[in-house]
Amino acid sequence: MRRIVAQTRKELTQIVRDWRTLALALILPNVLLLLMSTAISLTVNELPIVVQDFDDSSASHDFIDAIRASITLHVVSWPVNKSPEQALASNAARAVLIIPSHFGRDIARGVNAPVQLLVDASDANTAKLTSGYATQITAAYNRQTAGAMQAGLVQTAIRLWYNPGLSSKKFYGPGVFVLGLSMFPPLLAALAMAKEGEQKTILQVYVSSISAHEFLLGKIIAFMVVALAECLVMCLLLFTYFGLSFAGDPTPFLIATILYAFCVASFGTMVGATIPNQAASMQAVALGGFLLVFLLSGLMFPIENIPAGLRWISNFIWGRYYIEIVRDALLQGGGWPAVWYKVLIVGLIGTIFYGIAWRGMRKMQVKV
Amino acid sequence: MIAASPGRAVEDHQDSAEKRAIDVRGLAKRYGALEAIRGISFDVHRSEIFGLIGPDGAGKTSTFQILAGVMEATSGSANIFGRPAREMRSQAGYLTQTFSLYLDLTVAENIRYSGDLRHIPPNEIAERAQKYLRMFDMDRFKDRLAGQLSGGMKQKLALVCALVPQPHVLLLDEPTTGVDPVSRREFWDVLAHLAAEGLTILVATPYLDEAERCHRIALMYQGEIHQIGTPAELRASLGAKRLELRTADLRKTESLLSEEAGPDKEIIDVQRFGDRLDLLVRDPDEDRQMVAEKLRSAGVPVDEIRVDEATLENTFVAKLRALGQKAAAVEFPSRHDHSNLHGQVAIGATDLVKEFGAFTAVKNVSLQIRNGEVFGLLGANGAGKTTTIKMLCGLLDPTRGRIELAGTQGNLRSEGVRQRIGYMSQKFSLYDDMTIRENLEFFSGVYGVPEHEREEKIRWVLSFSGLQDKQNQITGSLPGGWKQRVAFGAAIMHEPDILFLDEPTSGVDPLARRAFWTMINRLADSGAAILVTTHYLEEAEQCNRLGMMVAGELVAEGTPTGIKARQSGHLLEFIVDQPQRAADLLKSNTERWRVSLFGERLHVITEESPASAIDQTKKRLAENGLRVISAREDRFSLEDVFIAIVEQARQQGKVVTED
Repeated sequence: MRRIVAQTRKELTQIVRDWRTLALALILPNVLLLLMSTAISLTVNELPIVVQDFDDSSASHDFIDAIRASITLHVVSWPVNKSPEQALASNAARAVLIIPSHFGRDIARGVNAPVQLLVDASDANTAKLTSGYATQITAAYNRQTAGAMQAGLVQTAIRLWYNPGLSSKKFYGPGVFVLGLSMFPPLLAALAMAKEGEQKTILQVYVSSISAHEFLLGKIIAFMVVALAECLVMCLLLFTYFGLSFAGDPTPFLIATILYAFCVASFGTMVGATIPNQAASMQAVALGGFLLVFLLSGLMFPIENIPAGLRWISNFIWGRYYIEIVRDALLQGGGWPAVWYKVLIVGLIGTIFYGIAWRGMRKMQVKV
Repeated sequence: MIAASPGRAVEDHQDSAEKRAIDVRGLAKRYGALEAIRGISFDVHRSEIFGLIGPDGAGKTSTFQILAGVMEATSGSANIFGRPAREMRSQAGYLTQTFSLYLDLTVAENIRYSGDLRHIPPNEIAERAQKYLRMFDMDRFKDRLAGQLSGGMKQKLALVCALVPQPHVLLLDEPTTGVDPVSRREFWDVLAHLAAEGLTILVATPYLDEAERCHRIALMYQGEIHQIGTPAELRASLGAKRLELRTADLRKTESLLSEEAGPDKEIIDVQRFGDRLDLLVRDPDEDRQMVAEKLRSAGVPVDEIRVDEATLENTFVAKLRALGQKAAAVEFPSRHDHSNLHGQVAIGATDLVKEFGAFTAVKNVSLQIRNGEVFGLLGANGAGKTTTIKMLCGLLDPTRGRIELAGTQGNLRSEGVRQRIGYMSQKFSLYDDMTIRENLEFFSGVYGVPEHEREEKIRWVLSFSGLQDKQNQITGSLPGGWKQRVAFGAAIMHEPDILFLDEPTSGVDPLARRAFWTMINRLADSGAAILVTTHYLEEAEQCNRLGMMVAGELVAEGTPTGIKARQSGHLLEFIVDQPQRAADLLKSNTERWRVSLFGERLHVITEESPASAIDQTKKRLAENGLRVISAREDRFSLEDVFIAIVEQARQQGKVVTED
């Protein structure tokens, strides 16, 4: 026990001594948190749209007013004699709405009045949103002009739960929180471990009779402290600027966080022990800690969107389970009944990492 | 040759089993196809300093790692106090070549951690740390980061870390590489002291002047031990004496006598030093006449030929040659002749001063080094050698003073000047993550070696460093001594006529060192001016002229013989029945540096007349129940002179401390 404490103390001293790296590990995730959750937006506002009105009737004016009223679309002026294609090509607008000359007459007659919407689909996501909004506006206009004729059809009443304002801060906040935790503590742990091998200080450790368990636990505890400190700083930001709070029982979150800290610290230590080279182990952590967690755990992109051939990998990604626990704690509030097995899996994966690190180190001898 | 004295081992088996601290039997270690250790056996007695001497790649480090319990042997046994080394880790302190310190922890934190790892109670750690730090005069530096200590202090800190758990066996793997002479002598004095207190010490070193300070040494080569004995036994086993020959024309004499030399001939070996030749001969009197005769008939003037004992280095080199190790097989493909430059001033410095803020690193240094000359710059750590070199080759601007380099003043970094300069820095910069060949290709390109000469030059470096079959190995995986050879080769590939070598042979074994110096002499003969620094004063004898720096000043300058002759006082050698007690006793009423222990022999430097000093010392020892077996005056070694100069400067308050 004393040796574990000694090991942890030594690691923490080294971490604090290298305060630049530590500051980076504590501040960078918060910068990431602010940046990603404000820069990336789920909703679309003020999309420029050009309207070419060849009809110029009161009906067409009404229709254009309906579009103007939307906060999503923003009508920009465009000379009628210029080709609408140029508006898209020059990026003056993302879409062009063309109202043909007999639009008003057709409405008055009560026959179909087609309008054409040209959408710039070079950005698929925005294109989908634009056409969606345009359709909604058209439908609303139809209801308004057709009046009671449409009544009686099925109508869906939509209510958004957990994040009613569809606030991107509330969606990305927890995601980036998990990403930060998955990235920086294991990076520091891997570097510290690889450095022992690189600078041969590990020989001094081997010479003493400290066991592999004591050595590894001492190291891992130190980097758990780093992870938990990072977690604390990020939580402050989440609970203030992001306006999040616990939606229900916070205990699954607290326990899972400690286990996750163990999991990522073990991951870093395992990488550093297997690859005793700082540069290479950094790459390995960046791959495992960042890329896999970022892409395959549903932080940003829904797991359902991953092709089935690759989707199974996400079952092994530790971040996947933790993000679900975090979202549950901060948004859904399902508590233990909803997430108990995920908490267990986080602990299990951590134990596997620890086991692999221990297997490599257990002899506490120079590998040949 | 002395075998590992099996007879004696059987005789007093009972007795030696008790005394035996380290016991290695048939130890072998294999890395894949490579046999690093091929069944070695030796034992080390309690309280003994036992040296493991051998060239790079002899298997010394593997032996240490097995004894330290950090690596498994392939077969055989390595016992400490009768139990497997692995189980006895708590009894052993291990100093690795790199010291294995945490550079980002302070001195105190390093000690605390290594004590904690061994379950030493915190108050005892603090107590012992205090004791040893004071013993090494380091207690002021407790809160300094290990990374900010000098090489000598790092070494002492590593020793403190190893001593705090109070081990009974100390394993030291080349502990003095890169450590200056003053610190080295202190270190060995401490080792002698610790051994006398009952500690058993196994030490590896490539430096044979250090091996002289061991009680017994074992010569290891290619994974086998070839000889074990006391330094005196080993020297005697060679059956040869050394002739020191002083002449004005070293080059001609060397080539003349080298033709006659060979392992089976009368002259076994010829070695060229800065102002003399050493000949290894079987029959000193007869051969002395023969050599004198020969040189007279060739018209070479001879100043002096004197007979002396063979050194350990002679023994070692002769032994390795007999075992078939060869160095520098291929002739240097010289394509540019600088002999027209001979005698010109290549490096000239007048009143050079360098200030870093309030600190004056170099004070009024003036130097002249001519083409064809090898100049050695000596000094303790922090004496200003590296700063001086950096100024001389234009890497650093002097605060005041004039520098002339290759006939130019002012812009020393112009392409024309740089093309003529070679520089091998202390921590040489080969790229560790590239292969040896890639490094050489890179440097031959950077140094502007003409395209058509490159392949030839690269082949020469590979053959010089004995790495022909390892050219595609990653540089970082080489032992330090080999890296050093490649670095040296890389620095001279473009045939510079001014060469700066900053500790070129640090960590290089004696045979390779011989090859280095043969090469350095050859370059000087062809007209290059060479400035060398070294921590090893035996090696400094190879220079034509020497300058000794203390605290930024050049305090002595001259030929090795000249500097030694100017030193006041006398060196007395005593052989005493209890050397350590005698040393402690004599140190108690004189300056500590005047007394030093070399294995069984005690060196005392005195300012009085030798005869009266011997009488007084004998009397003083006898009063304390110590018996003097023999006493005689000996000649100063360059190291004695250096230590004396530094200590005298220190008394005048000149030496900058490391605060």
